[in-house]
Amino acid sequence: MAQPRPPDPPAVLVVQDEPILMLAMAGYVEEAGCEPVEATTVAEAIRLLETRSDIRTVFTDLDMRGSTAGMNLALAIRDRWPPIELLLLSSQPWKTEELPERGIVLGKPFDPRKIIAAIRKFAP
Amino acid sequence: MPIATPSAVSDPARLAALDAYAILDTPPEAGFDDIVHLACRLCDVPVALVSFVAADRQWFKARAGFPDCETNLGSSVCAHALTHPDRVLVIPDLTADPRTAGNPLVTGEPFIRFYAGAPLVSPEGHVLGSLCVIDHRPRPDGLSETQTEDLVLLARQVMAQLALRRAVLARDFLQMEELRAFTVREALRDTQTALADADGDLDGVLRAVVDGAMRAVPAAEGCVVELIDGDHLEYRAVAGSLEPHRGLRVPLGGSLAGQCATSRTPLRMADAYTDPYVRRDLVKRLGLRSAVVAPILRGDVALGVLKLQSSRVDAFTDSDLVQVGMFASAATTGLGAAGTRRQMRAQDAYWRSLFDRLVEGFVVGEIVRDAGGRAVDWRYVEVNPAWGNLVGIEAAAAVGRTVREVLPGIEEAWITDFAQVVETGEPATFTRPVGVLRRWYDGRAFRLEGDRFGVIFMEATGRVQAEGRRNALLALGDELRDLNSIPHMTRIAAEIVGRALDATRAGFGRIVGDVEHIDIEPDWTAPGTASIAGRHRFEDYGDIRGHLRRGEPLVIDDVATDPRTRDGAAAWEAVGIRSLVNMPVRERGRTVAVFIVHDMHPRVWAPEELVFLRNVADRVEAGVARVRAEENQSVLNRELAHRLKNTLTVVQSIASQTLRGVTERDRVETFERRVLALSRAHDVLLERNWSTARLRAVTENVLAMQADLGRFALEGPDMEVGPQAALSLSLLLHELATNALKYGALSAESGRVRISWRTEDAREPVLILGWVESGGPPVTPPGGRGGFGSRLIRMGLLGTRDARLGFEPEGLRAEFRAPLADVQGQVH
Repeated sequence: MAQPRPPDPPAVLVVQDEPILMLAMAGYVEEAGCEPVEATTVAEAIRLLETRSDIRTVFTDLDMRGSTAGMNLALAIRDRWPPIELLLLSSQPWKTEELPERGIVLGKPFDPRKIIAAIRKFAP
Repeated sequence: MPIATPSAVSDPARLAALDAYAILDTPPEAGFDDIVHLACRLCDVPVALVSFVAADRQWFKARAGFPDCETNLGSSVCAHALTHPDRVLVIPDLTADPRTAGNPLVTGEPFIRFYAGAPLVSPEGHVLGSLCVIDHRPRPDGLSETQTEDLVLLARQVMAQLALRRAVLARDFLQMEELRAFTVREALRDTQTALADADGDLDGVLRAVVDGAMRAVPAAEGCVVELIDGDHLEYRAVAGSLEPHRGLRVPLGGSLAGQCATSRTPLRMADAYTDPYVRRDLVKRLGLRSAVVAPILRGDVALGVLKLQSSRVDAFTDSDLVQVGMFASAATTGLGAAGTRRQMRAQDAYWRSLFDRLVEGFVVGEIVRDAGGRAVDWRYVEVNPAWGNLVGIEAAAAVGRTVREVLPGIEEAWITDFAQVVETGEPATFTRPVGVLRRWYDGRAFRLEGDRFGVIFMEATGRVQAEGRRNALLALGDELRDLNSIPHMTRIAAEIVGRALDATRAGFGRIVGDVEHIDIEPDWTAPGTASIAGRHRFEDYGDIRGHLRRGEPLVIDDVATDPRTRDGAAAWEAVGIRSLVNMPVRERGRTVAVFIVHDMHPRVWAPEELVFLRNVADRVEAGVARVRAEENQSVLNRELAHRLKNTLTVVQSIASQTLRGVTERDRVETFERRVLALSRAHDVLLERNWSTARLRAVTENVLAMQADLGRFALEGPDMEVGPQAALSLSLLLHELATNALKYGALSAESGRVRISWRTEDAREPVLILGWVESGGPPVTPPGGRGGFGSRLIRMGLLGTRDARLGFEPEGLRAEFRAPLADVQGQVH
């Protein structure tokens, strides 16, 4: 499928239920030269993905209310939209086999250099 | 009126010759009687006599027509015949002959008048008497020549008869002597047999002696062995007429026996009435007239006497004296043997009773060898009653059998060790089990003569098992302290318990539901026993749920007889169980698991074994609880870490939003990175629940955030540092690395940093951390007081301010020191 508007900054879906963190995450996406699309719940994130085909990257926190919500979302995305890149934020370590394919975990607190580099790599 | 007798009468040679025929006072005999009757007829006289002239009388062996069998010498005419050994003395009228005119038989009854006597001459020429014919009227013509010749012939016949008689007597005597000798020999032989049979029994010995002596000396009416007891003799063994006198005591002085004992010589007493030694009262009481007595001696000491007695005068001969001496010697021998035996018996009995009363087991064994002489077994020669108790086998059943027969399957060491003792003569001390008995023994083996050895031993089962249980608890304690996984823990505990109790299976099972099922974890089994790991239903094994529900141990000595399990015995035996213990492990009052011990044999579980199992179950319970608590804590810690990081992230976000308008972005970034460095230290600490962290991990974690780890060289022993030190170290290294990246070695591609640490044992041990940069651009010391970062560096490790910074041209050289105790301290 051809990209309709290639010159537009790439859209990155940011999923976060904590407003302050959402601000920071959206900030990093912008710094990386992308357009943050915000979702504060998993349901909203799914809905956005279903409606916006331009989202190529999802940047989600795994430590959201309902401890498994973030990971469930990531796995669902990998299942339904295999091409989408996954940037995952977590305060705890994950084993490789627990992660969706090509999923990258970024730790907390934020390491802005790594986060920005990762976004740039996925959404050039 | 006395009439002189011819001197020939008293000739001792003649008298001796007469004695030798032993004819006087013997009963009439037909041979002689016939001769006198023939003489009467031939000489035509009414009286004829065979007359022997003794020293004090004349005695008629045969007589015809004469009333008396003897007369005194004063009445003897024959005495005159003695002087005429070669002719017949004829006195035609006795009244007319001066030799006989005054003879009482002439002057009075029976008024003899004629006498003719032919001498009885022995082959040696002694005239013993005469064959005479007598008439009551004178015969002036005497005898005719024929009659005289006849009388001489008849006299010769008397002598022939006498000789024959003597020969027969001599033969009979010899025969009798032979018989007597035979009797004596028999009696002696029987006595010796009896002595041997008496086997040292004193009374038996003496009984045999008196019985034998009685048999050997027929003249004896009674027999006694009198033994010296102080100054008396005691009648110890009696026979015959003395039977009623057993136990009689007579003084050594004033008795024949006493005289014999004190003089140690055999004595013959012909007549008690004339004997100087005996007491008259005693003689009467004992019916004693004659006796032979011989001393019973041991060496030179008289022990007593053997006496044979008779109520008749002079009943004993010299040969009887010899016999009594022989039997006295037999008594001596018998008494000696009895004494030795008694002594041996007493000793034997002493040792035997000691042996029997020993609490320790005692064995005398003898090595059994194969054809090649190799010791392959040993035989029980003797065992004491304690052996039976200690081994659990009837003692009598072992003697004569070998140890391999008595205890099949016994350990080789029980044979090789004792063979070694016999081989070398070196005693051996042992503590060793007999597996088939499931018992342990402590003991000592030592060599006896030849291939024999002795073993004295005690049971050590209780002690060894108690030691085993104690060691097992210690081992279990160590294992449980170090183990962090529950399955690993229960498996180790099962093995330790199984070995300590010498069981065939041990395991740990989790109770499922309301004691309905049990999930048995991988169990420990003795070789040859199958595992029963997996799920089992309690109902299948009988009525055993109640105990476990109540949290009581289930103890079954024999599944085949216990009422709770006998109906399900087949199910038990199918999995190799004859006896068992299920020790409940409880959590919050509920049985959640059981510790299982099985034995393939019936077994009585000792109280101390159950205590041990309870102890093990308690420890496993405590161990499980500890692991659970640790697991819970680590969950909590992770949760806490998660929250801490989230909070830091929020703080970071607030700061970055707040500082949105700040144009010096690097300042903002520095702040963010400091927060990050702090968080990294927490990561390392989290691994150990915030108790300690590894120095290398802390270092690597914080440096990796800054640059490729390949640019750092880390040197130093890895060690644990306390949480405070970990945070301090993280922040310090973060600032140093930040500076190195900005201005120092790491700002150039080729720059490297060597980080080293060591401890130094000063008065107070210290940790020395070195930071050496190289390969970077030329260094210029920073001016001024510096920012937060510089101040943080100068404060050093844990704020000791012991920081030496050298801005060398080739790069920064820094060294930081802090007391090791503070670095490793849990609380600061």
